Amino acid sequence: MTDIESRVTTCFANVFPDLPAEEIPQASQESLAGWDSVAHITLLSAIAEEFQCELDTEFLETLSSYKLIVEFFEARSVNR
Amino acid sequence: MKVELTLNQALATIKAQPEGVSRSKIFLVCGFQPLHLATFLKAHYALRFPDRAADVLEGHYGDLDGTLAVATKSDATAAVVVIEWGDLDSRLGLRSSGGWGLSVEADILANCGERWARILARLEELASRMPVAVVPPTLPFPFLGHTAGWQMSATEADLHKQAAGFLAEAARLANLRVLHPSRLAKVSPEASRRDPNMELAAGFLYSLRHASALAEQLVQLLYPPSPMKGLITDLDETLWSGIVGEVGVRAVCWGVGEHAQIHGLFQQQLRHFSEMGVLLAIASKNDPAVAEEALRREDLLIPGTAFFPVKVSWGPKSQAVAEILQAWNIGPESVVFVDDSPMELAEVGAAFPAMTCLPFDKRNAAKAVELFEQLRDLFGKPAVHREDALRQASIRASASIREAAAQSDDGDFVRALQGKLTFDTRKSSGNKRLLELINKTNQFNLNGVRIGEGEWLRHLEDECSFAVGVAYEDRFGPLGTIGVLAGRQCGGLVEVTSWVLSCRAFSRQIEHHMLEYLLGRPGVTAIRLCFRPTERNGPLQEFLRSKGLDCGQPGILELTREHLHTQLPHEARTLE
Repeated sequence: MTDIESRVTTCFANVFPDLPAEEIPQASQESLAGWDSVAHITLLSAIAEEFQCELDTEFLETLSSYKLIVEFFEARSVNR
Repeated sequence: MKVELTLNQALATIKAQPEGVSRSKIFLVCGFQPLHLATFLKAHYALRFPDRAADVLEGHYGDLDGTLAVATKSDATAAVVVIEWGDLDSRLGLRSSGGWGLSVEADILANCGERWARILARLEELASRMPVAVVPPTLPFPFLGHTAGWQMSATEADLHKQAAGFLAEAARLANLRVLHPSRLAKVSPEASRRDPNMELAAGFLYSLRHASALAEQLVQLLYPPSPMKGLITDLDETLWSGIVGEVGVRAVCWGVGEHAQIHGLFQQQLRHFSEMGVLLAIASKNDPAVAEEALRREDLLIPGTAFFPVKVSWGPKSQAVAEILQAWNIGPESVVFVDDSPMELAEVGAAFPAMTCLPFDKRNAAKAVELFEQLRDLFGKPAVHREDALRQASIRASASIREAAAQSDDGDFVRALQGKLTFDTRKSSGNKRLLELINKTNQFNLNGVRIGEGEWLRHLEDECSFAVGVAYEDRFGPLGTIGVLAGRQCGGLVEVTSWVLSCRAFSRQIEHHMLEYLLGRPGVTAIRLCFRPTERNGPLQEFLRSKGLDCGQPGILELTREHLHTQLPHEARTLE
């Protein structure tokens, strides 16, 4: 697991404490019943805090799965 | 102590709570999306009470009024009410497009005035059912006023005036506490409170840091630590400037002219504390006669008579402190010791690790002011009762009584006290004294169970419940309300869930009268005591054993008329 994956996984585990660890990499807003709008904002806030960045409002809708979030931060780290 | 939590730490704290802990319901009343504020409330509550968890109930977005009404009818045992300007008039928030121009300022002002009045009425209803923590607006207005940002406009000043008027009324309501804006400003600077991105995207107004700081303050406001009971102070370079044995009684000083004002401020704070009922004593290494003469100076800002006991000798201060604790009959964990000498502080701290030992820095006024603020936090309490003013005098009287009792036959002596007891059975949500006694009494305490304010209010609402305050006075003076009996009565059976008697009232056989009162209630044939042994309720256990009851294990102990004392020494009456 990369550092980015590990940190995103921790955030998911904090926001969705009942989600088994092995299911986190497959988690998405569509597939997870508890991923409602409140959980979505909480998750993105936790992730923004973890990575010490501000997420533009345009990403509120696009960052809707574990995979997309990891890819987003991996792309950011490459571009730095 | 400030605890900084990130959102991830807060979420992890909540996640780490064990299953099956007892849960408290807190109603979060706000007009914005509760979101991270609810999360931080749960987390800070978990840190405050590691063996409990909070369920945070929420209302409707944008409807502070309606949510207050829902909260009032709920089964929550506490409420937090967070008011922002947008709740008073939506034009004062970022999500409305109503504007704040010159043409609407008068309307905004009038609207806010009405809203404050409505909120106050709702708060009064809510506070009659549970303890309430109220937060006045923490965010600035958005751009209201024709002045540049560094000048307050008259409309802004009027809005602040309305808010101040509301807070002055709210702070007077029983069961309601207002968060101090100055303390919040210390832990959350105003400039970094707002998160406009989150406000516009999701309706949550605050930065994560502000939400965490606010939640921590709210938990502290709703569930303050027990205030300290006593303060022991040194004399030289602490109560006054100078060493009295060297410079003489008239030369020690505490005024601004002698560059000794911080000592005068300390004396003033101690005087304030004595009026609040804090026990004050002196532990000083000095010539007793010289120290006593100095304490008789009439220009002291706190009279020497406010201190009892006064222990002045050349022996170790820990010995003096031990004697003071014995006279007060309280534990070191409830006492603060103040001294300018690090060595003395270390010596007393080593002898009493549970005591709070604080340095008085006579050379640094800023540190001294910090000390005074710290003392305020340690001794401050939401309400001051009549009994608080009686406390010091009753401690002195108790010492005299113990002395006299040792020299005479116990029964004769107690009868000679000419004691009068009043059993007040009126249930009042505004009377905080009974709950204070239940939660701070250790030695004569039936089971050591502490009751939250919300649970207490629910108890009072129960038709079958009783909550009786016991007041006492005798020829040595009044003690005020010194005992509580609480529980439920169904038919002829009384179940006592709380029974406490202040240690100031020992040696007067009041506990016998309390049992007599219970068995004298109409229709009562037996009493069941919900007993639990604790580390500190030895005196209660001793009394129960004297009645032939087994105190080895927690359980229900039953008493009937056969257990009663035949001759009770005092007059007693009941208020209904």
